[in-house]
Amino acid sequence: MTASERRGAAGAPQPPLQGEEAVRLAAQHYSEVLAGVPRRYLVCAGTGCVSNGSLQVLEALQVALAGTEHAGTNGRQEGWPKVVSITGCHGFCAKGPLVRVEPGGLLCSEVRPEAVPEMVRLIEAGEAPQEALTYHDPITGDAYSHEHEIPFYAHQQRITLQNCGVVDPEDIRTYFARGGYAGLTRALFQMSPDEVVGEVSASRLRGRGGAGFSTGEKWGLTRRQPGERKFIICNGDEGDPGAFMDRSIMEGDPHAVLEGMVIAGYAVGASEGYVYVRHEYPLAVNRLRRAIEEANLWGLLGPSVVGTPFSFQIHVREGAGAFVSGEETALIRSIQGERAVPFMRPPYPSEKGLWGCPTCINNVETLATVPLVIARGAEWYAGLGTQNSGGTKVFALTGAIRNTGLVEVPLGTSLRHVVERIGGGAREGRTIKAVQVGGPSGGCLPESLLDTPVDYEDLGRTGAIMGSGGMVVADNATCMVDLARYFLSFTQDESCGKCVPCRVGTRKMLVILTRITEGQARPEDLDRLEQIANVVCTASLCGLGRTAPNPILTTLRYFRDEYQAHIHDRRCPAGTCAALAGKE
Amino acid sequence: MAIGDMSNAPTTAQASLTIDGRTVEAGQGTTVLEAALAVGIDIPRLCHHPDLSAWGGCRLCLVEVEGQATPAPSCGLAVREGMVVTTQSERLTALRREVLDFLLSDHPLRCVVCERAGRCELQRYAYELGLEETSHDKEVARDLYQDDNAFFIRDHQYCISCTKCVRVCDEVVGATAIEMARRGFGTYVATPFDAPLAETSCTFCGNCLQVCPTAALMPVGRIGKGREWDLVRTRTVCPYCGTGCGLEVATRNGEIVSVSGYADAPANGEFLCTKGRFGLGFATHPQRLRKPMVRRDLANRLGLTPDQPPAGLGRSPLVRAPGLAESHVEVEWDVALDIVAGSLAEIVEGSGPDAVAGIGSALAANEDNYAIQKLMRGVIGTNNIDLCARL
Amino acid sequence: MAAAPSPGRLRKIAYMGDPLAAPPPSELMGVLDRYRGQHDVLVTVLQQIQSVHGYLPKRSVQYAARELGVPLARLYGVATFYNQFRFTPPGRHAIQVCRGTACHVAGSSTLVAGISAALGVAQDETTPDGMFSLQTVACVGCCSLAPVMVVNHDVHGSLTAERVGEILDRYAGSAEAAPAGEGKV
Repeated sequence: MTASERRGAAGAPQPPLQGEEAVRLAAQHYSEVLAGVPRRYLVCAGTGCVSNGSLQVLEALQVALAGTEHAGTNGRQEGWPKVVSITGCHGFCAKGPLVRVEPGGLLCSEVRPEAVPEMVRLIEAGEAPQEALTYHDPITGDAYSHEHEIPFYAHQQRITLQNCGVVDPEDIRTYFARGGYAGLTRALFQMSPDEVVGEVSASRLRGRGGAGFSTGEKWGLTRRQPGERKFIICNGDEGDPGAFMDRSIMEGDPHAVLEGMVIAGYAVGASEGYVYVRHEYPLAVNRLRRAIEEANLWGLLGPSVVGTPFSFQIHVREGAGAFVSGEETALIRSIQGERAVPFMRPPYPSEKGLWGCPTCINNVETLATVPLVIARGAEWYAGLGTQNSGGTKVFALTGAIRNTGLVEVPLGTSLRHVVERIGGGAREGRTIKAVQVGGPSGGCLPESLLDTPVDYEDLGRTGAIMGSGGMVVADNATCMVDLARYFLSFTQDESCGKCVPCRVGTRKMLVILTRITEGQARPEDLDRLEQIANVVCTASLCGLGRTAPNPILTTLRYFRDEYQAHIHDRRCPAGTCAALAGKE
Repeated sequence: MAIGDMSNAPTTAQASLTIDGRTVEAGQGTTVLEAALAVGIDIPRLCHHPDLSAWGGCRLCLVEVEGQATPAPSCGLAVREGMVVTTQSERLTALRREVLDFLLSDHPLRCVVCERAGRCELQRYAYELGLEETSHDKEVARDLYQDDNAFFIRDHQYCISCTKCVRVCDEVVGATAIEMARRGFGTYVATPFDAPLAETSCTFCGNCLQVCPTAALMPVGRIGKGREWDLVRTRTVCPYCGTGCGLEVATRNGEIVSVSGYADAPANGEFLCTKGRFGLGFATHPQRLRKPMVRRDLANRLGLTPDQPPAGLGRSPLVRAPGLAESHVEVEWDVALDIVAGSLAEIVEGSGPDAVAGIGSALAANEDNYAIQKLMRGVIGTNNIDLCARL
Repeated sequence: MAAAPSPGRLRKIAYMGDPLAAPPPSELMGVLDRYRGQHDVLVTVLQQIQSVHGYLPKRSVQYAARELGVPLARLYGVATFYNQFRFTPPGRHAIQVCRGTACHVAGSSTLVAGISAALGVAQDETTPDGMFSLQTVACVGCCSLAPVMVVNHDVHGSLTAERVGEILDRYAGSAEAAPAGEGKV
């Protein structure tokens, strides 16, 4: 029975999907069905909005809509599509809980369950929802009723996040409706593994975990290794404090991650994959597990992927709380059930990884981008970015700005664009002092460097790194010494203790920084700090140690006067350091 | 495959590299450190051991490789054809000093009273790099002191977390009684739940002591028995079993202070079992037999002594058991051998050779055990020969 | 070495029989049987044991090592490496204050100090009545709601000192059924 016959027989595609045509028809069928629904309420169920009570809003919506004419779901096959459904993170976490009404993209922000009945009545009557639920620009006061008009969204280009906040992460059919698994079928049916590697290389997609190694090159290295058994690992151990891009993708679009992994598996010749997720992300773990079940049911994973002889399995492993396990060699140890201490490279994981087999480790965001690169072509993706790196990058924008949340911009966009246009600039009465990019491995850039383009090389030149995508904005009330101390106390705490420079060096730097913030500094401390920082940078074993001093080195470079005020004047210019308070 | 084919088989690939200006040939798969050591170029190192997996934690063995911006640890760096390596430079010395400076800030510098002084690798490198104290604030992360067993003491404050003890226990001994616990600055070598070693899978072989570069692991018997330079080290063969492990016995004034293995001992390499390392106390024990002895009644009968054995000795529980000196008489070797030979001949003549049996000892050397079976088969004429180690 | 030998401190150890002579309790067996013979699940097994008891009881870890054929030392090393594992029972309400960047900038350290003073316990400690245990955790990813604390998996965001007081009072008042937070993670 062909897929079309099956579809004709049952009305809807039936699992498992076999062959390219079946996947295409599923996409067509489900997108048509969804387009046929007059109004769908999409409730953000990302961690941020759930914490804000969006599940109560979901219940209230279901109750409120029970009485309306298109209540439902009755009359449609298997109670589908749902009129009210959850989605992953919409990105605009500061204004949550968010409800978007499709088609059209009407956005209701800060929705409380009490406001839902009235909101539904107005919308169903074809009117605008209450004024309080409409987003108002904090500076101009202008009201924006639709998502794409809001400056926070209007200045972004959502590629990797295109499905986040649109698909129901617990329903694979909504992913089909968005053209899901088209990249996989294109790879499987129209391309050889080498061509897939070539396509990814040509897209100039680089590792989004921070180091920025060419993804295509990494795949090629693993592909060329001899060996029957190879592995794909999806690194979802997003440990950087202040970064939640990967979490939002895993929660909001888990199938994109899985699809990316299967494509990677096909390209490098692996038949098994692991997703390694922090245990602090229980929602992501559950949604991934569920997505894997669905994908298995629909024949997109398992012994015969989409009816081809290619087989691929995916396991989920939860991290147990260690920042260093995001380092690839440490991650391998962690999956092997050992202490997550990094090991010397070479040999690189692509040569000797999990259980000694060639292993390709990619970040969540990287893998979630792969299906698009394959489906829409390398040329399109490469065209989005800069000369050196193609595509877009997702940032978790937090800190002292008006609009916080998840943003995606093409590489090469200036920091100023992100902070001021999307982020809406400093809060009332404050001025932006610095942007911390790249988390505890990154650096603090002063306001004067905000025109730096967001790109691996450009950011590297400033002393910061691209990092995984945490972007924390500091205003004049943030003490840069204290911020550096905060990051260092984090890395010091998370050091695995294997190599001496990181184990002892970070401790010594922390002691000095603590002394400075407590007004106990000695005049020679600054030089000593710089010296230790350089040693730790050079002599440490893994990326954690090598980048741990970055927050110190960049703040010393751009905010030396603040250090000097602490040391010589015993004064904290920002007024943050408690021991020096009142001396301003 | 004919033997002639061997010449056509690919030989072990060799790589030619330059270390400190010298051209060095090394097999593919060897590390830069191994290649350097093979030609006598010494690279400072604390966590490396030739018989253990590479660790790369001490960062002293960093070397500069031409074309690489940052120094790389030579213990984990495989040789490549045409590689140009520098092991000594101003930059490397500065880095090594800094790393050592870190270690010294986390290690009590009690070298003036430390038994390990003179053999401590940390002290050695501090001396070589000219560091007399740490420039940092002193903060020793560990204060655990464990003397929970009769063999060795674990004084964690001296530990530099090189993990050689952990690796030797897991990789060589296979006991895996200890593992690094916690992480970061507070990491330390721990038994499960900090239990006494006797409650773990430890076999007390003491190979952890063998590889420890500092005074963190010291034999109980070593404490207070002198400094390293007071000891005389003698290489010998372990008397316990037929393996014939090489021992290096440290003595002072004729008394055994400690026993260790030595690298490249033919049978065992560097590693020993608990008997060889901690079981040599009998050598200087006052009750050790040093000369042959003959039972006093037999000696009296043979006219070797006028004294009868004390009558009733040992018969009553109220009277103390006879000591060796009361029940036996010390004789010369010739006398003893004559008695044995005479008695054996008597038995063979009277009851035939199969009335005699010889039992060798695992404590004896292979050569001695060979000799006794030769004696039984060739001289006595019996196959009654056995050895306790045949099991 | 400065420390003199102290033979008096040598402990005599008597063999008390195999402490694990009895078979493991059934709930533990359930966990162990599921993962027997798999090599990539050590961390998962510890997580499962912790989810049964709320912490890692020593005996359970010993059983796990024996049943799975893993050296106990290795299991202990793993358990002490990761933040998630604890060897003491948590309080009835586990307070976890996020120490992510956004929360730090929003004053989470003051928050911790406040809770610590109010409850009279330091970090990683449990109140004597077993009601609350206080921990700081790595970023929970609710950066837009900073500062954030998680009590029994319920996230409470945009906290102030007063709000923390109110929330904890609510928990203290309901020893059994925990009051609902704004949402679950």
